[in-house]
Amino acid sequence: MYYICAMNSEFVQNWFSQVKKGTLSYIILIILDEKEYYGYELVQEIKTHTTLEVAEGTLYPLLNRLKTEGIVDAKWIEQESGIPRKYYTLSKDGKATLTEMKKIWSALETAIQKLQK
Amino acid sequence: MKRITFNNPTAQKIYDDYFKRVRRCVSILPESDQLEMIMELNSHIYEATQGAAPANEVEVLVNTIENLGMPEEVLAPAVADKKVKQATRSFNPKHIFQALYLNIFNGVGYVLFALVYLLIISFGFLILFKLIYPAHTGFFTGSGHVFFFGFMAEIPVGVKEQLGNWFFITDITLMAVLYFLNTLLFRLLKGK
Repeated sequence: MYYICAMNSEFVQNWFSQVKKGTLSYIILIILDEKEYYGYELVQEIKTHTTLEVAEGTLYPLLNRLKTEGIVDAKWIEQESGIPRKYYTLSKDGKATLTEMKKIWSALETAIQKLQK
Repeated sequence: MKRITFNNPTAQKIYDDYFKRVRRCVSILPESDQLEMIMELNSHIYEATQGAAPANEVEVLVNTIENLGMPEEVLAPAVADKKVKQATRSFNPKHIFQALYLNIFNGVGYVLFALVYLLIISFGFLILFKLIYPAHTGFFTGSGHVFFFGFMAEIPVGVKEQLGNWFFITDITLMAVLYFLNTLLFRLLKGK
């Protein structure tokens, strides 16, 4: 007996785009926890470590929002080229926020793994 | 802001055209915010294209710009957000209108804010109406169940205007109260 299962790809795509949207800030905070990054470098780092296809332009408004929330600090650093780089670092509040987010993520992961068994 | 120079004239034109679009998108913001957003994109493009061979400059630049996304779409939320912040700081009606226009689709709260703002403007017009048509503008009561504040083209029998020249003070007070409440609502929406 054969079953033909048709995946609802539109639903999956929408779900994935929501997951992506929700996890991008978390990914950024994890990356910035290591060291400071400038915008372009951060984009490359996200690409290297994840398979997320992020519209690069959306990253800057997100970084600015994180800055407004006091989660990241940013500073312009002059370069020899004359075109400065804006470096982002995790603030003290950002580190505390990330610790809390890690706890939530871990609890969620455990719960889903239990359900999937 | 230092402009990036390309060896390939086509690349230079693409770059200049892109920043014309970016400048148009952010022109509604204060100069410091404009500069911040432009510098950030300029830095990104510089880092992505530096070291590209002149023969590849166009391709690399086009890919970078494509990956950044259309400035009209990508910058819109950030511009709207920054405009709200400017409006909340300045209390300037011009900035409030611009922020409102940019955020009108952000939720019911902003629609309510827009309606109250419209009401404030209508109350402003009532002052003019009172000066031009004093007998037809005011606070009307009569027949036990008629209560009307505004302009009445035809006044029914038994209905009388109660405020006279006090209408101006009442109207201005209502405008001030609504303006205050609306600004509070605006701050609440901004804080969401």
